[in-house]
Order: sequence, then structure tokens, then C-alpha cells
Amino acid sequence: MRNLIPYFTLGYPDNETLTHFLDIMPVDKINYIEFGFPSNDPRYDGPVIRKTHNVGNSNFSDEVYSKYFEYFHKKHIKMYSLSYYSDIRNRFDSFIDYLQKRNFSGIIIPDLIIDYFSEGKKIINKLTEKGFEYIPFFSPATPDSIIKDIASITNSWIYYGLQPSTGIDIPYELDYTTERINELLPGREITYGFGIKTDEDIKNLMKNGGSGVAIGTYLVKMIDANDEKGFVDYINKMRGVLDE
Amino acid sequence: MITTMNKEIMPDKWYNVVPDLPEPLAPPRDSKNDISSINLLNKILPKEVLKQEFTFRRYEKIPDEVMDQYEQIGRPTPLVRARNLEKKLNYSGKIYYKYEGATATGSHKINTAIPQAYYAMKEGVKGVTTETGAGQWGSATALAASLYGLPAQIFMVKISFEQKPLRKTVMNLYNGNVVASPSNLTAYGRKMLKEHPDTPGTLGIGISEAVEYALDNDYRYMVASVMNVALTHQSVIGQEAKKQLELIGEHADVLIGCVGGGSNFGGFTFPFIPDGDDTEIIATTANEVPKFSKGNYKYDLMDSAGILPEVRMYSLGADFVPPTIYAGGLRYHGASPSLSLLINKGRIKSDEVSEEQVKDALKIFANTQGIIAAPESGHAIASMISYVKAHRNEKKTIVVNVSGHGYLDLSIFGEKK
Repeated sequence: MRNLIPYFTLGYPDNETLTHFLDIMPVDKINYIEFGFPSNDPRYDGPVIRKTHNVGNSNFSDEVYSKYFEYFHKKHIKMYSLSYYSDIRNRFDSFIDYLQKRNFSGIIIPDLIIDYFSEGKKIINKLTEKGFEYIPFFSPATPDSIIKDIASITNSWIYYGLQPSTGIDIPYELDYTTERINELLPGREITYGFGIKTDEDIKNLMKNGGSGVAIGTYLVKMIDANDEKGFVDYINKMRGVLDE
Repeated sequence: MITTMNKEIMPDKWYNVVPDLPEPLAPPRDSKNDISSINLLNKILPKEVLKQEFTFRRYEKIPDEVMDQYEQIGRPTPLVRARNLEKKLNYSGKIYYKYEGATATGSHKINTAIPQAYYAMKEGVKGVTTETGAGQWGSATALAASLYGLPAQIFMVKISFEQKPLRKTVMNLYNGNVVASPSNLTAYGRKMLKEHPDTPGTLGIGISEAVEYALDNDYRYMVASVMNVALTHQSVIGQEAKKQLELIGEHADVLIGCVGGGSNFGGFTFPFIPDGDDTEIIATTANEVPKFSKGNYKYDLMDSAGILPEVRMYSLGADFVPPTIYAGGLRYHGASPSLSLLINKGRIKSDEVSEEQVKDALKIFANTQGIIAAPESGHAIASMISYVKAHRNEKKTIVVNVSGHGYLDLSIFGEKK
């Protein structure tokens, strides 16, 4: 089964609204869930997700979300944290301990190998020692040698961002993009994200060997519009497209 | 002297260094919180140029139509062994120079102007616009646009506009429309004129005006430098040089070029990067614009108005107003992100030279090789002379990129800068 991974920034737009959307989400249609822990500097996100971090920062409450973490865990939905290293660097061990206590399976750190390259391998090895998945985050700007190197010291799925940041629309060659990553990492589970909107995008990515998609910006827009039906329909529809 | 028109010397693909960098290139970042300046690029650049800016393709096929125009404007350019200069410097090694001044517009700039204008024409836009410092880029844009039947609106940094009236004539002859920047054609220009009526202008202001003009008039902005796509197009220089060296059985021990935004330098040196670390590479800037030694490696604006995204580069600050130096093409506050990364990682070294060193170097080069190089290129030549003096007995093969001629810059040898 191909992976559908919805993304939510914790605390956005407020705890009540977000938990309501989590309540109505057709949980049997998703495989993993990605929670953004609000960042002070979500530098590699586009304007829509950036806004969610700014708002989420003042709303996040463990008390509110811990029961949801428990709920998804019981439903066997693997949870991943999206966290910027710039935010957690000074409390890295305690933050990972917290995530493990809350039954998260792993972490995506978009700025680790870009801004903290020299620390990257040490951090990845530390996560491996803790039995916690590090999800390599690559983009078209990641050099071939780095993709191979980082992928070789991890066993998890790969998060490949198709765009320079979330929710933007720079023209790219989908076939060549998938061909390149497949050639560099044959047989590896690749989940695509950043700027995926249409059914056609997803169909083509899956046709070319993708193992799943992460959807964020599009869901935020539906949450902003309080479009419960649209949200549920969209998740169901994406499931259908992935299963085709 | 390898000065053949042999088409085999010309590469049929551009080389993009991004997949071969030692670390990931930091992506561009929105400069404003509420809108995406990255998305805005869709309205500023031709789609194909934008695609190439963000591509990870190591090689990009050069369209046949562009190849034809490359030939028309004088590619391949010569690689010349500077025997007279070697003798003058009493150097026991070898010195070669790649001469981009041999192109129709007299500098390397035409190498990226042609494809950008070609893609704009294919897209059916109303025209193209850009900024220019010393005028080489403006001349290249005007000619490339003219070749594809497009009008070109050029914002020329005010100090250069005043100091180099002949450049304006050249651009006019190529059908370009030129104004001094800041100008009254854009809101940003009017604001700058009101707040700083005596400003000499900067490339940052010129870029801001051109981008605004593109957005308001359904034009497309032509990228002179800094952005990766310009360096990729300029890779014809380095690829040709490699091929020419190969044909004569030479290996470059040292490559030297000058840096404004980094396009001639990146185009010249990056094709050598995948070959390993045994070629020493030196990037030379002006003492007055010490971006690599005094600048910070950080996210900063490419333009003064903040319309374009921020990129991580060595920068003296987007509001840096450099002195009105003799080499207008080197006044830019930053440098291309890929070049900045390679400097930061130590793969490329940097050097700074003074005006006196540059003038002396230009005189020596003119006296020995007969070429009056552009003041910008004079920085690379000055750096090369210093290198030779410091490594006199090492018998190295040094290749320097002479990015343009200086026939329209002769005033620097007068009393006035």
C-alpha cells in the first residue's frame, strides 16, 4: 500500500479547530502522519506553512495533543515529527526523549544537512542509537554524493521535496526528477512532498515508482476555510488515487 | 594559439555544478513573510530559465537555435598562451588566457543573454528588461533581444551611465532603450531619487527597478549573474577551455577569474570542479568590494527592494553602496550561492587587488599581449601576476579568464576614475 501522509502544524489555527479536524480525519485512509512542531524560523517553508508555525508557536500544548498522539499510536499510524534543528539543537536529547515517550517513530529535520552539515552524521547516528528513525530530507538542490551518503547510513523512507519550499510552484521535470532519485537510491521507499496538488501529480509520481505522498499546504487551506467536507473528501480521494 | 572556429570545441550542453557541490546548496528563501517571492519568479523569469535555475540536471542540452547564435557571436573564443607575458614576468611555467573579449559584444555576458532572450521569445512575452553596471551586460541583453526581435529596457547604474556614454550608444545601436538608474520609470526608482537624489546608483537598485518593470509590463527579467542559471549558461567558457587544453595536452594547475556576481568566474571554473581538487582555483575581487574577506556568509537579498528571494551568499549587505570604482561590474554586494558555498568550504580561494595593481596589470597585459582587457578582467590578471611572483619557480600552468575587452573603459587611465 502506498503511503498517504497528511501534515499538520501543531496548534494551528488553534487547538480546538485542529483537534476537530484530527477527529474527523478518515484515519483508516492514511498511513503515517506528520506533525510540525512550531518553529521560530521555518525558513524552508512557503508562506502558507510559515504562517501556521507562527500561530502554532503560541498555541501548542502537550496536554491537548498527547491524547491524540496516543490515539494515532493505538491506531497503528506511525507519527513523524517535522522539526527544525535550529529550534531543537540546544535541547536535542530531551526533545527526542519526549518524542519517543509520545510514541513517535521518527523525525524529519529539513535544515539539518543544509545548515548544520558538519553535525549531520553525528545527529543521525545518535538517532539510530536511540532506535529512532531519521527521515532523510532531500531536494533537487541536494548533490548526488550527499544523497547517496546520507541514505546509506539510514534505513527509513526518504522524504523528497519537489520544490525549493512548501506550497510553491516552480516548473520542474517530474519524470527526470523521479528517474534521478530512483537511479541514486534503487529500491528505496521515496515519499514525495512540497507542492503536490493534483491527482495527476500523484498518479505520475506513483507511476514512476514513488511510494507515497505528503500533503500539507493544501490541507491548511481547507482548515483555514473550515471546510470539513472538503477535507474528508480530499483525504478519501487521495487514498483512491494512490490505490489506483 | 587555439583560435579555430572548430565547432567540436563548443560544448552542446551547459554544465550545472549543483549536483557536484560538496554540500547541499541552501535553497532560496522568501524575503517577505506574507507572500512567496520564490513563486513570484514565475512572473519575472521565462519558464524555461526558471526551470533551469532550480534544476539538478548536471548537463542541459543547448538548443540548436542558441548554438547557431553562439557561433554567430564568435564562439568558441580563443585560448591563448601568453608567451610574451611569461617572458616579461620571467616565469618558468605557462600562462594561458581565455579571451571572452572576442565575442561580438566584447564580454562573456552574451553567453547567457542569448539563451535567456531565446526562451523569452519562445514564451511570447512583450519584451525583456535588466540592469547593467559597466554596460557589458546591458549590451549583451540589447543584442540578444534584438536578435530575437524583442524590445529591451535597460536600467544602467547612474554613475556608469554618466561615466560611460559610449556604452549607452552601443546599447542604442543594438536597439536597447537605456535609462540611468535610479529612474522615474519605476516606483522604486522614484522613491530612491526622492530619498537619495545624489545616489550614484547600485546594481541592487537597478535589479529592483528591472524586476518591477518586468512585473508591470509583461516583460521578463534577464538574469545577469548571481543566480545559478546564469553560471550554468556561462559554463561554455570553462568547457571550451578544458577542451582546448586537452587538445594541446595541457592540464590547468591554477584557474583565476574575477568576481562581480560570479557568472564569468563560475562559468570558467565550475566545469573543472568534477575533475577533483588538484586544480587550484582563485576568485579575485576589488579591494573596495571585499565580499569574501569582510562580507558575511548568510541569507541576504539579491536586490535592494527585496522583490527577489533571499539567497545564502557572501554579502556586504544589500544596502551596501560601494565606492564609484573603476570596475563597475565588480560593485555588486554579494556573490552567487554556489560560488559562495565553494569559497566557504575552502575549495575556491579568494584574492583582492587594488586599483593600482589592476592598472599596472592592464598595462603589462596590453604591452605584452596587445589586449586591452576590461578593468574587471584586470583584477584576474593582477591576481595572476601576484601568483606568478609568489610561485616563480613552480612551473605551473595558469589559466586566467579575461572576461571582456576594455575599449570602452579607457577613461580609467585618465585622471578621472
